[in-house]
Amino acid sequence: QPLSPCLLGERLCSAEEATAGTGTYTRHGFIFSSLAGCVEKTNEDGGLPVVSVMRDAESQLLPDVGAVVTCKVCSINSRFAKVHILYIGSVPLKSAFRGTIRREDIRATEKDKVEVYKSFRPGDIVLAKVISLGDAQSNYLLSTAENELGVVVARSEAGVQMVPISWCEMQCPRTHTKDFRKVARVQPQFLQT
Amino acid sequence: MPLDHRRVRGPEESQPPELWAGVAEQEEEEEGAAPRDPYALRPLFARAGLLSQAEGSAYVELGGGTKVLCAAWGPREAAEPGAPAEGGRLLCEFRRAPFAGRGARCRPGSAAEREAEREAAAALREALEPAVRLARYPRARLTVSALLLQDGGSALAAAISGAALALADAGVEMYDVAVGCALCRAPGPAGAWLLQPGEAEERRAAGRLTLALLPALNQVSAVLGSGEGRLPKAWAQALRLGLDGCHRLYPVLRQSLLRAARRRGATAAT
Repeated sequence: QPLSPCLLGERLCSAEEATAGTGTYTRHGFIFSSLAGCVEKTNEDGGLPVVSVMRDAESQLLPDVGAVVTCKVCSINSRFAKVHILYIGSVPLKSAFRGTIRREDIRATEKDKVEVYKSFRPGDIVLAKVISLGDAQSNYLLSTAENELGVVVARSEAGVQMVPISWCEMQCPRTHTKDFRKVARVQPQFLQT
Repeated sequence: MPLDHRRVRGPEESQPPELWAGVAEQEEEEEGAAPRDPYALRPLFARAGLLSQAEGSAYVELGGGTKVLCAAWGPREAAEPGAPAEGGRLLCEFRRAPFAGRGARCRPGSAAEREAEREAAAALREALEPAVRLARYPRARLTVSALLLQDGGSALAAAISGAALALADAGVEMYDVAVGCALCRAPGPAGAWLLQPGEAEERRAAGRLTLALLPALNQVSAVLGSGEGRLPKAWAQALRLGLDGCHRLYPVLRQSLLRAARRRGATAAT
């Protein structure tokens, strides 16, 4: 579909002909554009077509509730782990947001027996899901309480990237020492068998 | 006295330079007393997307020498813990370059200058906040800063337009581009309201007004003024004049955004 450029604040169409998508807003029964970019009209099978405006660059995303994010652990505590959110989905962020993974959100089962020191270490890359935007005082709250969430990349004390053995252990290929981590299960489409 | 070789000996008699400066200013004022068209808009030049280090930027220049450079940065994490949960914050900064005003600065870095800058930043925030869709950026911080390079009158109005352009160029979702327009009223009982005053007119003015309008929604986002007006009818007429000026400036700003988008598309394609 050809994309036509549109100006900011331009009246695209009336609210009866289409529904407002991303980058648009409705006012007085009309749909206006809220970005200077290209208009896209997608036809939905069940209902009105959706009108959205896209800019050329990646739209600046903010972590939304339910989004899977990639973060790096910066410090751990007996009660929680503090992380820097680096990617949302597969889109890198220009500036890191701070998040917190509480002790009871690390695992889905046996939440009281969890030790943060045996799940994460500073410097690990973790896949997590945003469960709350947090109130004014706290950061984003994240959770790894699913099989596909958890540590993806970790380095051993020797500085070598470790290989996952099970859902709770990783082994260093050089020194063969085992370390405890809450490992993310690799999704079947990424496994080569 | 023995000759003092370390000092430069000046003339015995000296006179202050203001003796000669006063004569020139009087001549300028007499020339400027000729009436000008109150509806005349100064030619406006606007260009968006010129800075590479900021996410969005804009440069606005009014004919007669008002130059403002604005830069905007997209959503970043709100640094202070006191950020509101729904909707983000808009932080505005307004700075005057040291060479912006004609004549000498009273005292560089004085508290009065900083106070004036802070007031201008608060005025910018008041004008821009209704235009930005802050509800789309919860717990985020949007920053926009305006640098006044040369003050030739109507500086705040140009800064409002430039800052709105910079935010739009940065990809921040907005309801509309806020257009700023300044007016001033000449002193005296018969003083009429003039659109976009020049530097001399602004200095002599008895009342000053800056309007910010969102033309697509026909919504006024800020009315900032000072001085003395005469009748409420005159104020209403001034507002109508200012709104008309804003509507006439709006297409120029939108065109600059479109050109910036095309330029960005062309550089991304190559």
